[in-house]
Amino acid sequence: MPKTKSIKKNKKGYESCSGCGVCLLVCPQWRRTSSMSVTRKARARAMQAGVLPEEIASSIDACLVCGSCEPACPEEISITSMNIEQRIRLNRARSKYPSWYPVPLKKAFISDNSILRRSTIVLAGGSGLGQKTCEHIINLLGGSKKAGLAADDGRDIAALIEAGMVLDDERIKYFLNNLRYADTLVVAEGILHLPLREWLPGKKIKGFGEALMDIRAIRRSLGPEDMYIIESRGYHSDFERLVKYYDRLRHETGCQMNLDLQRIAIPTGASSLQARHNIETAGCLEHAKWIMKGRRVKRIVVEDFADIKVFQLITDIPVIHISGLI
Amino acid sequence: MKIPIIERGFIPPDPVAPDSLKGIPRQQTNPVRWKGDSWQDFVDHLKADGVIIRQERSECAVFDTDSGGLAYGLPHGIVRPNSAEDISKTLKAAQTYKVPVTTRGGGLTTEGESVAFGGLLLDMTSMNNVLEINQETMTVRTEAGIFWHQLAEMLRRDGMDYLSAPLNLTASVGGTLGVGGIDVNSPRLGCSADQAVALQVVTPTGEIVECSETENPELMERVLLGYGQFGVITEATLKIRKFSPITMKYFYYSSLRTAIEDLQFIAKEDAADYCGILTIIDRAITLLVAFDSDEREKEFNERWRKKMRGHGEIGFGIRMALHYLLHPWRFKEALYIIGRRLTLFPEFSRTEFMRDNKIVDRTVVFSRAVWKYWGGRQMVIPDLSAKAEKFAEAVERGNAVCRKYFKYYTLYCVGIKLRGRLPRYEMSCIPADASDIAYGCEFEPMLKDMDYSRDHLQAFKNEIYDIGVDMGLSYYRFGGMMKGYIRRVFPDEVVDRHLAMKREADPAMILNPDVIF
Ligand SMILES: Cc1cc2nc3c(=O)[nH]c(=O)nc-3n(C[C@H](O)[C@H](O)[C@H](O)COP(=O)(O)OP(=O)(O)OC[C@H]3O[C@@H](n4cnc5c(N)ncnc54)[C@H](O)[C@@H]3O)c2cc1C
Ligand code: SF4
Ligand code: SF4
Repeated sequence: MPKTKSIKKNKKGYESCSGCGVCLLVCPQWRRTSSMSVTRKARARAMQAGVLPEEIASSIDACLVCGSCEPACPEEISITSMNIEQRIRLNRARSKYPSWYPVPLKKAFISDNSILRRSTIVLAGGSGLGQKTCEHIINLLGGSKKAGLAADDGRDIAALIEAGMVLDDERIKYFLNNLRYADTLVVAEGILHLPLREWLPGKKIKGFGEALMDIRAIRRSLGPEDMYIIESRGYHSDFERLVKYYDRLRHETGCQMNLDLQRIAIPTGASSLQARHNIETAGCLEHAKWIMKGRRVKRIVVEDFADIKVFQLITDIPVIHISGLI
Repeated sequence: MKIPIIERGFIPPDPVAPDSLKGIPRQQTNPVRWKGDSWQDFVDHLKADGVIIRQERSECAVFDTDSGGLAYGLPHGIVRPNSAEDISKTLKAAQTYKVPVTTRGGGLTTEGESVAFGGLLLDMTSMNNVLEINQETMTVRTEAGIFWHQLAEMLRRDGMDYLSAPLNLTASVGGTLGVGGIDVNSPRLGCSADQAVALQVVTPTGEIVECSETENPELMERVLLGYGQFGVITEATLKIRKFSPITMKYFYYSSLRTAIEDLQFIAKEDAADYCGILTIIDRAITLLVAFDSDEREKEFNERWRKKMRGHGEIGFGIRMALHYLLHPWRFKEALYIIGRRLTLFPEFSRTEFMRDNKIVDRTVVFSRAVWKYWGGRQMVIPDLSAKAEKFAEAVERGNAVCRKYFKYYTLYCVGIKLRGRLPRYEMSCIPADASDIAYGCEFEPMLKDMDYSRDHLQAFKNEIYDIGVDMGLSYYRFGGMMKGYIRRVFPDEVVDRHLAMKREADPAMILNPDVIF
């Protein structure tokens, strides 16, 4: 049985922040509000000056945990886990959680023997993919003998991690137990990529994008008139490898991507807890508008199913999920 | 300037003139914090005027220092303006209640110029909209709090680029126009301040004024390179050009003087689109040259390349290997060079920033490397600027000072093309005696994971600045401008004239106090 621990410990903490502000340049919340207060930089500098998490609660709550700031940070501060740790500390100090916080599940844990021997397991998470799409994805990944769809997709764990709430070790054990024989996990919830890499070392953890783009026919159907929207959390959690992967993809297909000049994925935040509560107040529409500003494309292809709705609300350009490319 | 040998028990005279740091102790250049008289009346006035002011500890603490990390000060409150009108109301009230106002963009200064020692901090980064990209006039109109990164992001979607900007994406347009803004293409295109075609400025008394070289030209000349003394830049129209990836070449030298001569040769002959010197250690010096087009590169290869006295990487590597074989006790130095070569140079050619052997988004590439390898909680970057003839001596003297204080340091040298003798250059980073191209050198110790006292760092800076006084140079403003040196390096007549202009423009002397005056 794999060992469980909540999430990766910080390499470096807020005390190492130089205040350079590079993280701010890539932060969707800063881009939307132009307010320094909501940024990682502001939180780190304030904490360096002895400010308590309660005093910066609104900033901690504003974070979409998109992970964009982490690969941008020249001090290599493990910012995503730092953001979550701040939520953990804040949760301890506050009496009332925000309305978008998840309610811990009280359901029985599922043992899923049907997928136990599959080499590829798909964790569709809270992505909202319908049964048919999931079956199509399984077929694309080699058919039901090779790939299986996990009934326990760990979406509750993902939500608890994001909110900085206590993880139940028993729950995680059950969750991982179903995955123990697979070689590859295709995980929709980007926020689970990093912990899964820690919990199950040696397994390949991929997002939908990478898993499906490995299929030549899908890659071939992308072209210069497509706007390809990378799911940001998974991408940033394995940035050094994936930045090269997506660069090759961009070069090969000529498609446009939601990458900024630093090659950081600009997120819509559609999968954040805040957006699951309300995509407008979470700023998703503004983020999507910024992504599309000045772009001349004929189709939008998204990795994260939740992005479909966001782009449909701001543009007439057809929006499809990557699995719909063939 | 020579520091005399000190006899035991004898305290030598302070090398900084006693009147240059009034009320400020020798090693500590931070001014005393403003006491806060009339602050509450000021706040009430602004609130009544509809200007939002933040006073929470968590808000103010974010701005307690600048990139230098040596000067610390807390504002009493922050205004994050949404418009020039917000700033106008703020400055009018500040004049009435005599509240100091410090303008801040990216806060990349290193001498505390963007730190508020009490009073109000104007966080300009909230004004960051691109207003118009005009491909007919090849200009962009933007709010001045915008970071160069955001501006580049917008321009690139139209296949455009700005001309020259700091190799640092977290600098703001307004902060840069006020300081200079030097790029590796500045020997050809000039500094960022010279790319400004028109500005909107809020004067220290709160008037919103449009200016250019034809409309209110005096204000334009005062505000550009003016360290925020004569107004807050709220909008800027800047020249732009078509975006192009660049090809970069390196030449390696073991003599600083030869590298400088070659740099000056390239700049004078306009042989490359970009050029600059970056040292690893005293005997490993890189001259980088780059080109916007294949034609320019071809021309360089045909006409100028053979005149370069630097080596290619392999040739230089062999020479260095031989040198260290003969000087085996210096093997640590060799390891440092190899380490630097293996870590820093690949940053300049990461595949995701390369296409067909060309660097795409060079500013991102350089900026990332600058922060990664030179950034930190403390940064000390004193600099000198000189006319061509004095430059090599200034750099060599500065290099000797670096050697005295630090084990590892980097020198970064680059030129700035001048646009004749404009009034804006007076008391700026452009030395008074320079013509055609001025040169600057930044002296940057590697402070990462090192523990130096503030006094050590301050003494180092003073010794570099003293070279400026001794040789009649100016300061490039990468590393800022120490107030204490203003009167020492510029003639009294010039400083007094500027002080009189400042007093007239800013009767209560509230805007960016204690930076220059
Ligand atoms: C790591 C590092 C690398 C650097 N690299 C370069 C480089 O390559 N080239 C180069 O030229 N410089 C470089 N610098 C220096 C720095 O870029 C300049 O100091 C700079 O351009 C500052 O911009 P800023 O927005 O940070 O201004 P700030 O530091 O915020 O302000 C600079 C000055 O301008 C004033 N000011 C700010 N905004 C306005 C405004 N809107 N209107 C009027 N006045 C204003 C401030 O009061 C202050 O006096 C570097 C600095 C660092 C720390
Ligand atoms: S995780 Fe995303 S939203 Fe949160 S601070 Fe970083 S960039 Fe901003
Ligand atoms: S990028 Fe990193 S070091 Fe820079 S301000 Fe953000 S957290 Fe701090």
